[in-house]
This record gives sequence, C-alpha cells and structure tokens, in this order.
Amino acid sequence: MYKLIWLKELKGELYTWKSTAWLLAASLLFSFTSYLLLTNKELTLLDQTELLWLLGKVIVGVGLLVVTIDASSIISSEFEQETAESLFLTPLALKDFLLGKLLAPLTLWILIYLISVPYIIVASAGSRLALPFMGHVFLLGTLCVLGFILMTFAIALLYRSSKNTLTTAFVILLAAAVPALFAATLKSGSVLTTVSKINPLDNVFSALDNVLVDYQISLGQNWQFYPPLIIFGLVMLGLLSAAARRFRQQGIIRNE
Amino acid sequence: MMISVKNVSKAYEANVAVDCLNFEVPTGEFFGFLGPNGAGKTTTIRMLTGMIAPDSGEIAIDGWSHSDKSKIARLLGVMPESRGFYNWMTGEEYLSFFAKLYDIPEKYAKVSQLLSLVGLTERKHNRVATYSRGMKQRLGLARALINDPQVLFLDEPTLGLDPQGQEDIQHLLKRLNAAGVTIFFSSHLLNEVASLCTRIAIINRGRLVAQGTIGELQIQAKLPASSLKDIFLALTNPANV
Amino acid sequence: MKYFFGLVSIILCYELWGAPAVLAQTAAAGPLLINISSSKTLSGTAGDYVTVLAGITNSSAGPVSNITTYLSLADESTKLPVDLEDWSAEKGLFIGNIDARQTLPLNWKIHFVTPGDYALIVVAEAAGQELPQTSAITHFHVNSKRNLNPGQVLPVALGMPIVILFAMTLLTYRRNSKLV
Repeated sequence: MYKLIWLKELKGELYTWKSTAWLLAASLLFSFTSYLLLTNKELTLLDQTELLWLLGKVIVGVGLLVVTIDASSIISSEFEQETAESLFLTPLALKDFLLGKLLAPLTLWILIYLISVPYIIVASAGSRLALPFMGHVFLLGTLCVLGFILMTFAIALLYRSSKNTLTTAFVILLAAAVPALFAATLKSGSVLTTVSKINPLDNVFSALDNVLVDYQISLGQNWQFYPPLIIFGLVMLGLLSAAARRFRQQGIIRNE
Repeated sequence: MMISVKNVSKAYEANVAVDCLNFEVPTGEFFGFLGPNGAGKTTTIRMLTGMIAPDSGEIAIDGWSHSDKSKIARLLGVMPESRGFYNWMTGEEYLSFFAKLYDIPEKYAKVSQLLSLVGLTERKHNRVATYSRGMKQRLGLARALINDPQVLFLDEPTLGLDPQGQEDIQHLLKRLNAAGVTIFFSSHLLNEVASLCTRIAIINRGRLVAQGTIGELQIQAKLPASSLKDIFLALTNPANV
Repeated sequence: MKYFFGLVSIILCYELWGAPAVLAQTAAAGPLLINISSSKTLSGTAGDYVTVLAGITNSSAGPVSNITTYLSLADESTKLPVDLEDWSAEKGLFIGNIDARQTLPLNWKIHFVTPGDYALIVVAEAAGQELPQTSAITHFHVNSKRNLNPGQVLPVALGMPIVILFAMTLLTYRRNSKLV
C-alpha cells in the first residue's frame, strides 16, 4: 500500500511542478557551480581534487536542502489540507503511509543525484576520480538524506504544521552544516572534535575529502565515516517511531 | 447490532466533549444524529470511525472493536466533516486512488459507476480544483461509497448543495438504505433529518438527551404533534438544560 | 664602475631583460652575490605553488648589515612588471647582517597565477650601499592549467537545465492533454 502513497506523492509533485521546479533549481545551481569552478580565473587555480570536493559538497548540500524542504510539507500538508482523515479512514496503516511518504523525497534525492552525474563526469575529466566520486556521493548522500528525512518526518508528526516543521528542520540542518564547513584546523578543541565525529554532514564532507583530495577511494579506506551516518539514521528512525506512537495516541485528527 | 456505543467519554484537557454516551444503531437503520454546534457530534463520529480514541467506554461496529482499524475500515464509508481533496487529481483519478487503497477488484468499473451515481461523469477528467463546492460534496460521497460500505457515516453531507443537489443526495441515500446500508446521518437541516431518518438521537454538551423515532422524541420532549425543530430547540435550549 | 653596473641592473628589472649572461656577470660587481638556485625547477602550471631558492653571499672582507631582499617579476609578453600581490605573500625578506664570506639561503613560496613567460630577479639592498645588488635573471614558463577541460562544461551547464525544462514542459503538456 506504501507504493500507492509513493506514486501519489510523485505524481502530485510532478504535476504541480513542485519537485520539478526544485530539480530545475538544482541543475541551475550545479551548472553555475561547475561552470565557475572550471572557467573562473581564480577558481580554476584550485587543485582539481579541491574543486571536486567543493562540487561534492554542493551536490550533497543542495540535495539535503531540497529534500528537507520537501519532507517538511509532505506529511503536514495532509493535515493542513484536511486530506488526512479520508486517507486514514481507508485500511491504510500508518507505517505504509510513512514509508510511501519517505520514498517520495528519497526519489527526489535520487533524481538530484542523477542530475549531478554529468557535472561530476565533466569536472572529474582526466582525474580517474569520476567513479569513486559518484559512488561515494551516492552512498554518503543517501544515508545522510535518509537520516534527515526521518528526522523531518518525526518533527512533522509532532507539529502537524509545515511552517513549524520546516523552521525546526532548517535550524537543525544549519546547526549540522555550519561546523561541518569549518576548516579542519579550527576543529582542534575536544568539543569540536567530538561534534565533528558525530555530525553526519561532517562525516560526509570528511569522507569526500578523503576520497577526492587524499585519493583514499575504496569503501574500506572510508569505513570510519559510514557508521556515524548509519547510527544517525537509526537514531532518527527511533525518534520517528516515538513520534508515530505519540501521533497514534493523539489520534489521526487532533482536536485543536 | 451495527453500531454499539457504551459509556463512551472523551475530554480534551478540561473540556468534556462527550460524556458517557450510550446508544445502539441496528443494521439497516437510517439513524439521525443531532446536536447544536459544539455538542460533540463530530467527536462522536470521529470516535466511531476510529479517527480518535475514546478516553473510556466501548465502541463496536458490526461486533468489531473500533480499535480493530483494518477490520472496521472495510465496513465503513465516511463523509467526514473535513472536506479536503487532492486538488491536482481529476475526479476519476481521485476515486481510482481510493479504490486502490481498498484494493477493490474491477476498480475502473466501480469508479465509473460511482461517478455516474453522483452525476460527475461529465466532469471526470477535470481537476478537482475546478469543482464547485456541491460537486466536491458529491465526489466526497462517491469516495465514501467506493468500498460498498455496510455502514455509512455522513457529517453534513448536503451542506452547501443547491435544492436539486440536496434532493439528488437524499434520493441516493434512500436507495442505499433500502439496499441494506446502515446510515449514520448528522445534519443541521432538521427537515432533511425528519424526512430521512427512522430514528434520531440528540446530544447536547456531550450528553445524550433523547433518542427514538419522531413520535418517541415528541413524548420525551413533552411536545406532542410538534416538529423536529421544536423538539430539538426544546431539548437543547440552554434554559431548559 | 660598480655603480654603473648596479644602475644597469635596476633599469633592466623594469624593462625587458634579454641578456641574462651579461647580467649574471653584473650581479657580481657589489659586495653581495645573489644566486637563484632553482632556475631549472621553477617552471610549472598555473595554480602550482613553487619555492624560489636562492643564496646571498657576502663576498667582501667585512660584514654587511641591514640587508633586505626582494623578488621582482616581469611578464615577458606584456613587458610589464607583475604585481606580486596574488603571487606571493612575502615579497621582501629582511636578512639583517651577513658576516664576511658568509652565505645565507633565501626562499620564497610563490603561487603561479597566470600562464605565460616570466623573468625573475632577486634584489638586495644593504646599509651603506647606494645601489642595490641583483641576481642574474631567471626565466621560467607557467603552463596553462590542463587537468580540466572547460570546453566540456558548457554543453552540460547549459544542456542539463534545458533538458529538465523540456521534460517538465512535456510532462505538463501530456497531463493537460488528458484533462478536459
């Protein structure tokens, strides 16, 4: 039954230009970034590996941003547009509802990733880094995006409001992004080092650094960056389970 | 017994919405459920349809507990108070989507039949966003009927319809009831309730104040030969409560 | 005579330096001898960081004090001096004193910014010296950055948004054609 919800969301997003507008925006952003990186007088002086790392961060960053915005409204809109009641009056189970909803922003991420592939190939020309770049961006990005979707859904089930969900999810995303963008030399203190080790975005960026700048391209050479992302996803899954339990207790329709 | 409600209560923090409600609706009955605004009608319907859980008491639909959602979802057809639609879908797509959720065999035939039943065949390829309020009401009714329900919950089903639209819906509901569908009907249009329902329950401030046929209600209200409107006003007037 | 050679060196720093062999000899005229030792390894690609290695020797019998050395670079195609702002963070190095017959190493980290042919010279001035001392001219070439192919980016940068826009329009057209 989750497939029905997934397809409904995909069709809704495509027919209303909601997601397609995001895909267009993502491709314009990738075009702008890669064109600047490859042609701008100063930026072309970056090492190619540095340039690829920057592009990798942009791809994951744009993906996370778009998916978080999409996930913020995908559940709450059912309550705001009063469609939740008729939906839950059917035999649809909450877990199917959530799984179907989860697959929609995840599909959006996959589409953003696919759009980024030609840019990766162009930017990696001559470096033999294209395949490892694509592989790691996909794996790291998918794990990170999945964690953030689960987190956003948990917030959406608690708030049932797109605006509140978006604001909260954005603040958390920013809180994760800002320290991840600090240079490694600034993360010398014990607090920042710990934050850096558990912060999913930090792990994604560090892994891309390892792959693209230090040529540690195999999965085995980057294994240390994956467990924090998996743990982040599991913690967010737990949070979503707790939010779903509370949601059931409150009832599908919450009396305001 | 199709619907059984025993000692059901529901409170939202300090506000008691439904207070120890008891009534039964036999199979095949056209049951009217009346009450002034804020009396607890919608809360009661939402508890009966499994959308919210009661704080206490027991609810059973055709013998199944209301908490057994997967069982009762297939028995119920509901036209709820909230009237949201997926506006980007066409009328046909909307009904097909719900037919798939119920896993209905021959769903396309069923969708066509229902669109014809509610008079939306001509507009089936139009987006729901372009429908008038009355058309949306009829689409909502078609959705409530998509799973051939044994019991139909209707919360203000004719609200916003023109007289012809009201007449069409009433005619359709009579046909469904004659075919054996139990109907739980909530409306503020008392003439409509009086003409359609075989038995009526009136609640006020979350409590059941009277139930029975019109004749029984006249006796309970001590207003012989009076209209349902007079009975309703007498039983729910704050001065009399 | 030594003043004459010093003057020639300065003039050549800011003009086209076309006779390094002659200049190499002129550089030996003062008490300080400057030798750029990395002349063979200087060439590279735009974006590279390289180190200019040099040595400064006090060839006189007494110490020389308050010595400051500078890098000077000229673009051989435009025949203009290059503003070292983007090339090196440390254009001048203060040496202090050099004892008699002592040689001190000098090194500058420079960043190749623009491709082209360049001429590099190290200049030293010291207390009590009216004319600066210069090294011989070192010529080097900065290659264009070749590891990226900017020519491929334009079709992708323009093509991808157009493809997506086309797909969106097609989808909308097909959807609308189904609607009445």
